Amino acid sequence: MIVIVANRWDQTPKAIVSRWGEHNVGVVTASDLSLAGWLQHSNGADQGTAVIGRKLVPQEEITGVLTLLPCVFEEELVEIAPEDRSYVAAEMTAFLLFWLSRLQSQCLVLNRPTPSCLSGPCWRREKWIHAAAQAGIPVQPLRRHAALPVSAEEEATPSSATVTVVGKCIFGEVEDDLQRQARRLADMVGVELLAVRFSGPERGASFVSADSLPDFSDDGLADAVLAYLRDGPAKCA
Amino acid sequence: MRVSGAGNILLWGLPADPPIMAVRDALQRAGRRVTLLDQQTVADTEVQLVVGPTVEGRVRVKEETFDLAAVNAAYLRPYDAREFPEVARAGQDSELWQHALALQDILLSWADLTPALVLNRPSHMAVNGSKPYQASWIESHGFRIPDTLITTDPDAALEFWRQHDRVIYKSVSGIRSIVSRLTARHLQRFDNIASCPTQFQQYVPGTEYRVHVVGEEIFACTVVSEADDYRYSTEPVDMQACDLPDEVAARSRTLAAAMNLFLAGLDLRCTPEGEWYCFEVNPSPAFTCFEQRTRQPIAEAVARLLACGANGSGLASAKKYAPQPEFRCAK
Repeated sequence: MIVIVANRWDQTPKAIVSRWGEHNVGVVTASDLSLAGWLQHSNGADQGTAVIGRKLVPQEEITGVLTLLPCVFEEELVEIAPEDRSYVAAEMTAFLLFWLSRLQSQCLVLNRPTPSCLSGPCWRREKWIHAAAQAGIPVQPLRRHAALPVSAEEEATPSSATVTVVGKCIFGEVEDDLQRQARRLADMVGVELLAVRFSGPERGASFVSADSLPDFSDDGLADAVLAYLRDGPAKCA
Repeated sequence: MRVSGAGNILLWGLPADPPIMAVRDALQRAGRRVTLLDQQTVADTEVQLVVGPTVEGRVRVKEETFDLAAVNAAYLRPYDAREFPEVARAGQDSELWQHALALQDILLSWADLTPALVLNRPSHMAVNGSKPYQASWIESHGFRIPDTLITTDPDAALEFWRQHDRVIYKSVSGIRSIVSRLTARHLQRFDNIASCPTQFQQYVPGTEYRVHVVGEEIFACTVVSEADDYRYSTEPVDMQACDLPDEVAARSRTLAAAMNLFLAGLDLRCTPEGEWYCFEVNPSPAFTCFEQRTRQPIAEAVARLLACGANGSGLASAKKYAPQPEFRCAK
């Protein structure tokens, strides 16, 4: 079973599941974490049990994971008493970090969770810019400012071209040079799924930002992710 | 307006916070120039950060301005700015609230990117946000961890309790919770377990140790208390400075270094059989309560480490980008 971890209000998993129709796919949301059946034992005596789409699933049946949420938001927890939602959201996020990290030893997890984000490095824009600069990619410096009275922060440089990295595959109608830059950044950061935005598709365009949660409206991306999870990182759809 | 190089060492937090006070005093005794950025002056503070190939910026507090690029070492103990009375009173829709959040976010961002020695970088402290995730790190560095069950199944929790006889429960996240032993009075609330994954651990008997790792230095003490969680004990808690076996001290250093923590507080317990368990690594330890009781010069060591960073000794070379790809949670 391929598992998608998502926000309960997000419609993206539904579209992906439909696209991956013939495959065994389940979706985990915060509402599954409020159902009896989760079992995770530290000593590894058993593989553990998950609740996926309201059904109990032995953990060994999970063959791949796509994570589409950075954390559990308290707004999702409508079954929980309002005064407890903030605490429960933190507990569920902490649990998912542990569970997803543990799953890495048995299957591919896209993206690997980081302590500050379940779907990989969800960095501030300035950290991506600094990392891109360290990777030798041309960047426009970003200026951030906080003062009273509050004024709008600097407008982001508009991006007009996106390159998406999925394992060894790269998508995007841009010059090869930009594709290589996107690959270099993903490799340096150690991330397998990454959308990299540039100021334009032409050679010499500058890096604008990156996101470990790409836009899945492109069916080609969903197909590439399926191929990655099914066949391994070396192959492209 | 006066512009300074910040004395190369920056402390960020509240002036009355005991660890901040102790480190500031130690630095001043050592003759180091130190700038304390007081979080309470939020309304009078302006910050600017420019990030490209380099990380630059400045902070202005009233008439005083300092250059962030000139900071070579920093000790961070920031509190949530939204909880400051002035900010809380102003409310979520106020400019002060927005400003406080933006200020905090920009400084945290700087702390993650600056080449300065930072005790500790926010991204490295995040490991503490999930106790079982952190426990996997701990176990992979040679300490034992208690047998642990995380479950939403009340029956499984009962079975785990029967199996271990003495069991404690605590939060899964980094949110501070009182570690409590399960008793019969908890049975009536067992059905609530289904609402959220809950963490249960075997109770491990033995002698409790608190170990502070400051760079390469180690300060250990025993903690004797009748309470399940000595931090909340209403009874006297006895603390005595002690030495650790060399191998345990080395393991503690290695664990903190692997987590990129230059300052860490480890909670250890040694069983009567001589097995060493580690329960948690605190990346922002309030070490002063241990220092006061044991007379161990922890603040002096923190000050030495900061001074070392300010002298450019290369201690800041912790990985900024790679998410430790070699790390895998133990099965």
